[in-house]
Amino acid sequence: MANLFPRWSNWLPIKIIICLLVLGGGVTSGVWYYFTPKYTRVGYQPTQPVPFSHKIHAGQLGMDCRYCHSFVETSAYSNIPTTQVCMNCHSQVQKDSPKLELVRQSWETGKPIEWVQIHKTPDYVYFNHSVHVNRGVSCVSCHGKVNEMDVVYHAESQSMSWCLDCHRNPEDFVRPVSEVTNLNWVPPAGKTQKQIGEELVKKWHINPPDKNCAGCHR
Amino acid sequence: MSKRIFQHPEESQTGKRYWRSLGQLQDTPEFRGWLQREFPQGASELEGGDVSRRNFIQLMGASVALAGLSLSACRRPLKNLVPFTRGVEWSVPGKALFFTSAMPARGGAIPLVVTTFDGRPTKIEGNPMHPVSKGATDIWAQSSVLDLYDPQRSKGYLLDGKPSSADAFQKALAGILSAAGDGSSLAFLVDGVQSPTRERLRKAVLAKFPQAKWASYEPNGNDLELEAAAVAFGAGHEIAPKLEGADVVLTVDRDILGVEGDLASVRAFASRRKVENSADAKAKMNRLYVVENRYTLTGGMSDHRMRLAASRAGTFLKLLAAEIAALSGDSSLGKIASELKVPEKLGGKDAAKETSWVKECAVDLWSRKGKSVVLVGQRQPVAVQLLGLAINSALGAIGQTLIVRKTDTVPALGIGALAEELRKGKTATLFVLGGNPVFNAPSDVKWTDAQSAAKTVIHLAMEVNETSAKATWHVPAAHYLEQWGDARASDGSYLVVQPMIMPLYNGVSEIELLAKIAGVESDPLALVQKTFVEISGVTADSGAVWANVLKQGSLEKSASKPVEAAVSVEAISKKVSESPAIRVGDKDFELVFITDSKLDDGRYANNGWLQELPDPITKLTWDNAALISPATAKALSLETGDVVKIIAGDKSLEVAVLELPGHADDSISIAVGYGRSEVGSVGRQVGVDVYPLISSESKRFRTGVTIQKTGRQYALAITQEHGALEGRGADITRQATVEEWSKNAEKANPDYFKKMGIDAHAPENFSLYTHPALDDVHAWGMAVDLNTCIGCSACMIACQAENNIPIVGKEQVINGREMHWMRMDRYFASEAGSESEPEMVSQPMMCQHCENAPCETVCPVNATVHSEDGLNVMAYNRCIGTRYCANNCPFKVRRFNFFDYNERSLTSLYKWNLLSEKGMAESSKMQKNPNVTVRMRGVMEKCTFCVQRIQEAKIAAKVHARDSEAATKPQVPADVFTSACAQVCPTEAITFGDLKNPASKVAKLKESQRGYRLLEYLNTSNRVWYLARIRNPNPKMPDASRAGSASRDAHGSHAHDPANGHSGGHQ
Repeated sequence: MANLFPRWSNWLPIKIIICLLVLGGGVTSGVWYYFTPKYTRVGYQPTQPVPFSHKIHAGQLGMDCRYCHSFVETSAYSNIPTTQVCMNCHSQVQKDSPKLELVRQSWETGKPIEWVQIHKTPDYVYFNHSVHVNRGVSCVSCHGKVNEMDVVYHAESQSMSWCLDCHRNPEDFVRPVSEVTNLNWVPPAGKTQKQIGEELVKKWHINPPDKNCAGCHR
Repeated sequence: MSKRIFQHPEESQTGKRYWRSLGQLQDTPEFRGWLQREFPQGASELEGGDVSRRNFIQLMGASVALAGLSLSACRRPLKNLVPFTRGVEWSVPGKALFFTSAMPARGGAIPLVVTTFDGRPTKIEGNPMHPVSKGATDIWAQSSVLDLYDPQRSKGYLLDGKPSSADAFQKALAGILSAAGDGSSLAFLVDGVQSPTRERLRKAVLAKFPQAKWASYEPNGNDLELEAAAVAFGAGHEIAPKLEGADVVLTVDRDILGVEGDLASVRAFASRRKVENSADAKAKMNRLYVVENRYTLTGGMSDHRMRLAASRAGTFLKLLAAEIAALSGDSSLGKIASELKVPEKLGGKDAAKETSWVKECAVDLWSRKGKSVVLVGQRQPVAVQLLGLAINSALGAIGQTLIVRKTDTVPALGIGALAEELRKGKTATLFVLGGNPVFNAPSDVKWTDAQSAAKTVIHLAMEVNETSAKATWHVPAAHYLEQWGDARASDGSYLVVQPMIMPLYNGVSEIELLAKIAGVESDPLALVQKTFVEISGVTADSGAVWANVLKQGSLEKSASKPVEAAVSVEAISKKVSESPAIRVGDKDFELVFITDSKLDDGRYANNGWLQELPDPITKLTWDNAALISPATAKALSLETGDVVKIIAGDKSLEVAVLELPGHADDSISIAVGYGRSEVGSVGRQVGVDVYPLISSESKRFRTGVTIQKTGRQYALAITQEHGALEGRGADITRQATVEEWSKNAEKANPDYFKKMGIDAHAPENFSLYTHPALDDVHAWGMAVDLNTCIGCSACMIACQAENNIPIVGKEQVINGREMHWMRMDRYFASEAGSESEPEMVSQPMMCQHCENAPCETVCPVNATVHSEDGLNVMAYNRCIGTRYCANNCPFKVRRFNFFDYNERSLTSLYKWNLLSEKGMAESSKMQKNPNVTVRMRGVMEKCTFCVQRIQEAKIAAKVHARDSEAATKPQVPADVFTSACAQVCPTEAITFGDLKNPASKVAKLKESQRGYRLLEYLNTSNRVWYLARIRNPNPKMPDASRAGSASRDAHGSHAHDPANGHSGGHQ
């Protein structure tokens, strides 16, 4: 009986397997890299309706974060300031700047400014700002050096493993509560972050939920 | 150690036992099915609806193809953050604000504190500063927030059923009023919800139009009781029970702890049932005798209960009065009793037992003269109620346990009289303000005809209902959370109804409309403030007093004061002798129209939470049914679900029967309010409309009814067998009498309640599993006092509102897929042979938060794990829906989202994803608690102990600690917050708190002698303690030996003896 299949077909299964492996590996690593928060989120820098510069306000002028994000210490959310807050200064300063046209319009018409959201936790995550900033976690730990950004971008991945990095090792991040909004803070000479962190974690009994899912998922 | 296999001991089929349903009692295959499966046959399979397995596969193929097209949309959608332009005082984004308000209700408004997020009211709580509420509410207040956001609410003016506008209505109204002259062409029909401002405006309207007619109608009101009080004490008086002072309470056809009571009465009753030890119980516990035709919540709490047809309640009172007259030597009472024309006999099988029941009850009432009370049902004819008042007078109850108060309610015409007026044809314009008379007026009034005699009918309502459909103008009404108003609580104190949100659909309030008619300033706030100034008498600085009223929710010291009053024997005697006789035929049934525990008179028909709430007694959802006793069912060869024809006079209706143990044999009960035709999709055609059988003569019950079998069947969605625990009442609910408790607990056997059932035999537990160290500073736990839990189910609705729990619809309830995180288990307990007269126990059942949780060990993806503070937590985003956890839960408290209940309408659950409309109504989204995830299809969920509240409290403690250097970890102070179910409970039967904090209430309660944990021998180490039920029977009563008997038989009273032949233990 003649060979039903030609000779080259002996290699076919192996070729198919190799192809599938390459293809599968490619898809897997593609998803692994491109679908992660590190890729999808970090660097996200939408254009805001008003060209507000944190670099000028928080950096150059040295305004405290809490002047505008006034409820960050009391609420789960760090609020976006009302138009009124902008107008506190801009009714006197830069009164006629064309960049502030939308702000003035909003103030006159009562129509709010629609800022574009950059940092967003998924619906099943309940992040609370107040408990972090009151316990020595600085704004810079999650948002990067906003005081150096002209246009704010997503600086950290804010994925769950990234959260847990701190929840498991808070000593690597906590600092004195008075320095939380000082984005340029560095540990005083002669001490490392680790030393200060360990000291504070012990003194304040810091125990973030590291195993308790309900700490963030409710 | 040898392998330890634990089997429940086979339950004795002949002894005393607990049972949930007749199915369990008879051990039907259906019940076995419920017992052995977490979900019933078919619940876990794709079936029914429009999708077969085959075309499901086809559709799946298509969905994969389509999914490829949408991959490009991986980026998150652009979202905007929109701050206010000007800051709003007190408003902090993400923080709740709390305002006082009140929910106007028929029997007295409920003082409230409303939780609002960013201006949206999301949750209703009772006002802890007000004595009527003390933080508690009922199911109607809890579910009212759903009515506010009902997407099917009336959204605009209708003229003859076609959309119109507010301007057009104002023009029409102005025309009507300018032509009204002295008002002889005007008539008003209002509902029975009282408001001081409405009363004030009524006067203003009648001053402008002196000839206008003013009528009021409430199908389930207390009009007969008010009439009786007016006869006995003179017009303008009302009576109110004061149960905190009552040692002995007898209720005759009166559900004082249920639909015929109020929060204050429930609380007062329970205050006498909170007992710490057996000495306390002896000294403090009240005794409750209940005479009723069907099991009610009151009957469930009774120490002695007699089932008796409602039409024979008068007979019972007559016999009781004769006994008390003999004891007191009060001849006038005997005379009144002899004048009451009622059936001669109670009609039971054992006449001697009945006689002794009445006699001993009378002796007990008399022995606590001045501290006993007889409460007669609001359903009973005036003559019967008057006899009740005469008995109370003889018992010295008036002014002590039954107080008399002045009421400012001015009498109005009844609906019958108004219908007569309308038929005369002189009334051109009829205003129907609230209510739904086309649906619920007595049939002999022929209201629809009467109403059509008026040229213009203007109907104000929150929904387009039956009356709106027959009205000229439909005016959308504002919800009470949308507009200023005022009301009086059941103690008469003045409450301000504060709005939480602008009217969503431009609804107007009743007082706004009345003010327009009266031609006075119609700003509701100004109207209410004017009434407030009149009532408070404050002239100077009224602004500060007003601000304080808003802060407190009520005007201080405005509760009505009891007045000295004595019954007028002559007036009672006259009225009783003039009253018509109640006749009962030997063969006929009586038909009792009961106020529905959920829909009231039908007004809440479009509220899905209420429709799906199992009735506290029957456990029936999404329907009403004719309740009959099992003996009657047997005699007529009927079973639950058989459709019967009930014939009353020339009217009849067809309805399914439901066998209810403890029901009187010659009686049929059926709830009103179902069978609505003009209502949103939730309530449409749910159940059977009973109103056609109701006439003015027999508004609340009627005799001479016959019943015929039709041979057809109807599916009822009854949850009573759902979640049945593998047998053994005594392991689950435990009870004893005061005597038994003192005998055992105080002396030889302090662990009396802990060692009932199989726990009496179980050797010491040990565990093979480990769980994370429970090393948090907190340990959350709960205690449930079965001695004060009346089973009202307010906790279930509170849980639903707090935790964004969806409804699933009747079909899914039948499949056992209801989503309630906590259920109210209702057990009957009886001795062999006395199943017709069982005792009842209600038991709230929620996740027990086992420290050794069986669900956690079987989860393949660690979606349910343990936290350091002892919670069994669910991570929804991890859950893949294997349902292993639910199968392994000994308490059957886990719930699975078989469908995307939040995103789909109940009618399109079975439709394939892309073919059905998806998404939640915008208004429904506004109700959701922003701190709780809205779960999707395929996810398991269960009670979390309100983890969002726990986390909020813990975060608050940490924020408070800030950078202070304390000796210990930041800790939540004792009892600063509680779970939703504990907060709502009117009897404080549920207590939640930190077990590690010795100052917390729950830490003390768990040490109670009555405390036990469910299925202790499984070593699940629950975090929920139940406190056993105590009964306080009168030893002289003929049925005294039965009280609490089901637990007594359950091995509790003897010491454990391994050789005594019981199964269990080492094998």
